[in-house]
Amino acid sequence: MSPTAWMAWPVILPLLGAVLALLVGRKGVRVVAGVASVATFTASAVLTWEVATRGVLRQAIGGWGPPLGIEWRADGLAVLMLLTIGVVGPLISVHALDHLGDREDREFLPLWLFVWCALNALVLSADAFNLYVTLELVTLASVALIAVRRDRPGLDAGLRYLLFALPGSLLYLLGVALLYGLYSALDLGLLGQRITPGPVAWVAAGVMTLGLCLKTPLFPLHVWLPPTYTGAPTPVTALLSALISKGSYYVLLRLWLEVFTPILDWQVGQFLGVLGAAAVLWGSLLALSQSQLKRVVAYSSVAQIGYMFLLFPMATLGARTGAVYLVVSHAAAKASMFVAVGNIHQAVGITELGGVQGLAYRMPFTFLAMALGGISLIGMPPSGGFIAKWILLEESIWTGQWWWGLVLLLGGLLASAYVFRILRGSFLPLPPGVTVRSIPLGNELAPLALALIALVLGLVPWFPLELLAVGTAR
Amino acid sequence: MNPWAVYALSGVAMFSVGLVGLFSHEHPVKRILASNIAGSGVLLVLVALARREPTGAPDPVPHALVLTGIVVSVSATALGVALARRIARIDATAKAESTGASDPEAGGGSA
Amino acid sequence: MTAALLDACLALCLPLLAWLVLRTESLSQSVVLFVAMGLLSALAWARLDAPDISLVEAAVGTGLTGALLMHTLSWTDERPPDVAARARHRPWAVVAMAALTGMLGWAVLSLPSDDPGLTREVDAHLAESGVEHPVTAVLLNYRGYDTLLEIAVLLVAVLGARAVNPRSERTTPEPSRDPLTGELFRMMTPALLLVAGYLVWVGEHGPGGAFQAGAILAGGGVVALLTTRLGTPRMSSWRVRWALLTGPLLFIGAAVAPLFSGRALLEYREAQAGTVIFVVELALTVSIAMVLWMFFPGMRPARAERSGKEPS
Repeated sequence: MSPTAWMAWPVILPLLGAVLALLVGRKGVRVVAGVASVATFTASAVLTWEVATRGVLRQAIGGWGPPLGIEWRADGLAVLMLLTIGVVGPLISVHALDHLGDREDREFLPLWLFVWCALNALVLSADAFNLYVTLELVTLASVALIAVRRDRPGLDAGLRYLLFALPGSLLYLLGVALLYGLYSALDLGLLGQRITPGPVAWVAAGVMTLGLCLKTPLFPLHVWLPPTYTGAPTPVTALLSALISKGSYYVLLRLWLEVFTPILDWQVGQFLGVLGAAAVLWGSLLALSQSQLKRVVAYSSVAQIGYMFLLFPMATLGARTGAVYLVVSHAAAKASMFVAVGNIHQAVGITELGGVQGLAYRMPFTFLAMALGGISLIGMPPSGGFIAKWILLEESIWTGQWWWGLVLLLGGLLASAYVFRILRGSFLPLPPGVTVRSIPLGNELAPLALALIALVLGLVPWFPLELLAVGTAR
Repeated sequence: MNPWAVYALSGVAMFSVGLVGLFSHEHPVKRILASNIAGSGVLLVLVALARREPTGAPDPVPHALVLTGIVVSVSATALGVALARRIARIDATAKAESTGASDPEAGGGSA
Repeated sequence: MTAALLDACLALCLPLLAWLVLRTESLSQSVVLFVAMGLLSALAWARLDAPDISLVEAAVGTGLTGALLMHTLSWTDERPPDVAARARHRPWAVVAMAALTGMLGWAVLSLPSDDPGLTREVDAHLAESGVEHPVTAVLLNYRGYDTLLEIAVLLVAVLGARAVNPRSERTTPEPSRDPLTGELFRMMTPALLLVAGYLVWVGEHGPGGAFQAGAILAGGGVVALLTTRLGTPRMSSWRVRWALLTGPLLFIGAAVAPLFSGRALLEYREAQAGTVIFVVELALTVSIAMVLWMFFPGMRPARAERSGKEPS
């Protein structure tokens, strides 16, 4: 099979897996999903290898090519995202199997495979309208996942997420329509060549950015995030925060760095940067003031998304590397923390922050994971978060915009405060009268594996950094 | 003004009405309606753009995009109303239990 | 002149109706107005020479969506009165609406006024696409990958909707005892099948296709739910799962087959494209009809009069 043909499998295999998992009914779901997961991961790994050795790959789907057809494009950034989804996603889904009931399995697994298919399709797509379809597929599958337990909080969270994500997609689609109206193209490459400053480009960029920021979400559009993340089952929250929210951010990054580059003025960059900085500070402060454990971690996501927007004011290749490195390490670290939160809820059934008291001794792996994940969120070495923030800090000084460096440092300080709040409690003596249910070892190891990925990203950053450089020399 | 521009502006207005409506309502059915309206607006803009050349056949590409868009929007609506329905039923059951009715289904129907 | 007047009227009525839909206090009136708006927009799309879309909009965007919403009202009208159906009066809303319309209108009006888009490119390759109707060529060949993902969207929606409401798969509590409706349904069935088959076939060279045909069949299914003892198909039945999933499986198979002979995803051979597209469309018609049908859970007697008096 030709190297470009490999691009199809990370999209097709999870889709086929999802359809077959639905077809086999209740008995074979786990087997089908397991086989599909291994196959999809393998395909993503092979594609990564092909891109690392051969450079950027393209496939004109249907053999047409732009402007008539849709094109897939795999550069270093795309395959790094594929790999992140392919490693973090299955680890979360393994944890979900024990966390959710037997009945939910039958729905969780096909839905997760649909999300995986959609995210891989999103990452590879170089077509503005095709991206809309993938965004909607991600959204609907996420909504179904959030509500999979059919309890009132989950249903409310699902409906809330749907009703915020839908207008986000529609704003994006309107932008696509305007761009097509002026440039008669949907391919991102063609649009990037043809774009000229003017009312259409400005308005399209505005509505598309607004829509994607609503979905990601960027401060101050984050109002839906805390209740949604809290109401969803914990493994689903982990998926939302680690992977799903990155989907719309990824589209935003592609748009601004590859299509709207000529209209990325200083003011636009600073504006997005200011919102990002506000997200960092506001999110961290609110994380500090929460009394529920899950909400602390949820507000921390608001802050971490904020850092990713510091890319836009600097808009250098280095800043892109830093932001993407943060996306990857945050995916691992935050997934680990949410999965750990799920373990804690399962063990003591207390959702308050005080519920962690004394648990470090009973659930050592879970809290080790929490600590390692926390280190990455703070940005302390050795962790992926440290590398990412270091690169961003360097860029902020190098571009003469030191104020973003200040935001990075302040955010790290606040993060250490809320991480410390969780960890400190866990070392206090176990309060009397609290019974700790034992957690299956696999469930304790899943967050640890995720946290170790965040750690390894800090220890051996060369491979991902080299990969990210593939396809940037244009 | 050209007919396409008239319809495109109409679509833009529908989109705005729907989008703003979505954020100023609280009832889930109203919000789902609003998102459908906003969606129709965007699709109307696309269809209008396809008809800018007054002679000959219209541009089939936006037409195909709109067909896809309609299917996506009916899917989202179906999922949304399914959630809304379940929530309403849970509430009805809770209400029936608190008033001492034995059959939750009947409680939902006669409330 | 009359045409221009009609266009202006339609274009003015659509946003006005949209505003009324959201402004009306009664939910059932909102839904009725929404259906009226949908029918008007189907008319607008016919005026813009988009008969394919007009068909789908009337059947799916308005018909099925309206029915779904109407049907939902019979469940949700018990919502506690604290969630008012009416928007709180917010002055910012009007300002935001005007500002948004103005900004978007500015962009729309600065678009070139006689742009053919991709019409030429579509026509240039139509002979290689295997079908004669340009919209079908875009939908199932040039941009067939969009359609593949769109099928996934439909499956996700039906899976999600069913997962949330598994118990409502009950049979209709009281199917209409009116002998006339039952007889009507029996008479309608062959006609529906005929129309659906015709729409798939005609889609190869004129307006029509899998979605239009699937919507027609699903409409028949919904009528069956109302008039016969037939229940909504259950996911737990293997027959239903096969009916639902054969189309997607065939489509995936047709999409990946070219990969094994060194071509790209969905790159059909020119000589076979027509046949492959027709078979895929036929199989998809069944799946689409099943999905749209299964969006409707078990029926409950509607209480339209009650929902007309929403607590305000």
